[in-house]
Amino acid sequence: MQYMLLIYEDERIYGPDRESPAARERRAQHVAYSRELGATRLAGSGLKDSTAATTIRAAAGKQTIHDGPFAESREQLAGYYLIDVTDLDAAIAVARKVPLSQNGAVEIRPLLVPL
Amino acid sequence: MTSAALGLVFREASGRIVAALASRFRDLDLAEDSFADACARALEVWSREGPPRDAAAWLYQTAYRCAVDTWRRRKTEHRFAPELQRNAIEEQAMPAEWTPIPDERLRLIFVCCHPAVAPDARAALTLRLVCGLSTREIARAFLLPEPTLAQRLIRAKRKIAEAGVSFEVPEPEAWPERLDAVLSTIEIAYGRAHEDAAGSGPHFNYAAEMLEITRVLAELLPHEAETWAMAAIVRFAEARRPARVDARGMMIPLADQDPGAWVEPLIADARRCLDRAVVLQPRAPRVLQASIHAAWCARRALTDPPPWSRILTLYDELLKVRDDCIVRLNRAVALAEVHGIAAASAAIESLTAPPLDDFLPYHAVRADLLCRAGRYDEARIAYDAALALVATSAERLWLERQRAALTE
Repeated sequence: MQYMLLIYEDERIYGPDRESPAARERRAQHVAYSRELGATRLAGSGLKDSTAATTIRAAAGKQTIHDGPFAESREQLAGYYLIDVTDLDAAIAVARKVPLSQNGAVEIRPLLVPL
Repeated sequence: MTSAALGLVFREASGRIVAALASRFRDLDLAEDSFADACARALEVWSREGPPRDAAAWLYQTAYRCAVDTWRRRKTEHRFAPELQRNAIEEQAMPAEWTPIPDERLRLIFVCCHPAVAPDARAALTLRLVCGLSTREIARAFLLPEPTLAQRLIRAKRKIAEAGVSFEVPEPEAWPERLDAVLSTIEIAYGRAHEDAAGSGPHFNYAAEMLEITRVLAELLPHEAETWAMAAIVRFAEARRPARVDARGMMIPLADQDPGAWVEPLIADARRCLDRAVVLQPRAPRVLQASIHAAWCARRALTDPPPWSRILTLYDELLKVRDDCIVRLNRAVALAEVHGIAAASAAIESLTAPPLDDFLPYHAVRADLLCRAGRYDEARIAYDAALALVATSAERLWLERQRAALTE
């Protein structure tokens, strides 16, 4: 089955330009982790700061464009992986090893239509 | 065969057959529906031709055939549905008539108690699929409207199917977490049965299921101390059931129960389970809990002094491995008997009330201690708080008597 792993973290710890030591260290961890995943990883990337986000909202069919992310919360969507594994237990095992700050979350979602 | 006898056959066969089909076809709904179809066929055929020699095997064969038919039909209907292709099951010969039903109940228990399943649905799903209880019976046991519970079951089954929950028993390295989820689920399910001291309510009929399920779990995972401990706990507790209420239906506290009324063979069985657990891991939380039950069940007669100091020692041990409000509360009860009211009151008052506010035993224990300390007005308030939460008539009668005694 194919799953999307959605990584939520408090992006402030990485600094606005993602060039802080914490950001560099995390990036190196993700590179190593991706290598370890090998063929299990179909795709994946970090995302730029949520200040770079633009959101299109639809209300009663009318679309408006907004600056900023969809959800204002302490943790933001910080990156994703797309993986191919046998079942949820395998996905959980992969998701557990995603490099993550002290406080954060990885949401595991099966793809409706696999790639 | 009477319809009651048929019901019993269906229920006894249900867990094994649904488990076998679910792990073969990796589809809970298909397994349940096929079993239901087989039961309907049985009613029709058995009334005409009489029941077969091995009713369970007949039901399994029929249910298996129904499942294969449904599965083939779905395959042609959704030829290109990707998830069906992914799950493509190799066609296999029908099980021969002498084939025993494979026991896949352990797998099914792990599926129902997967951490990805909502905690409030795990116990209900286990009772439904592994124990074969009806939605109505479970709804009554959990004091929920039937549609609410049915909805919860549907949501849980859909989650299992869509999230790709595995139908495998997890790898041993995942057991500490996964097995604990299973045992906690059984604790919740059994808690419902145990609360009903008189055994007259809707929970009673599954106390027997809990004896069975804990036995199965212990036999299937014989190297885990806590599975044996869980089996011991349920047995000790069930053994005391005949002594838990008096002739008027009022609850009798453990220390006042007549050990002569306890079920000796069940206690012996419990002790065998506990012995196995102790050899494996004597300090595991559930092993210590079972040891506390064992200490009580070692009492031979009401004239023997209650084993309070042994109980307190065990609670001290338990506190080292499981420090929570409930353990502290139970320890305080023993503390009162061994070291006096003041020590127990201090232990109770140090507990933070909010998480315990809705916990009846907290108010009942507090009320008793306040009463024994001569603080009758406060005791009355605590009894009122307990009475506001009481769910069974046996407990209500007892609390009302205690409260009435305050004014004398």
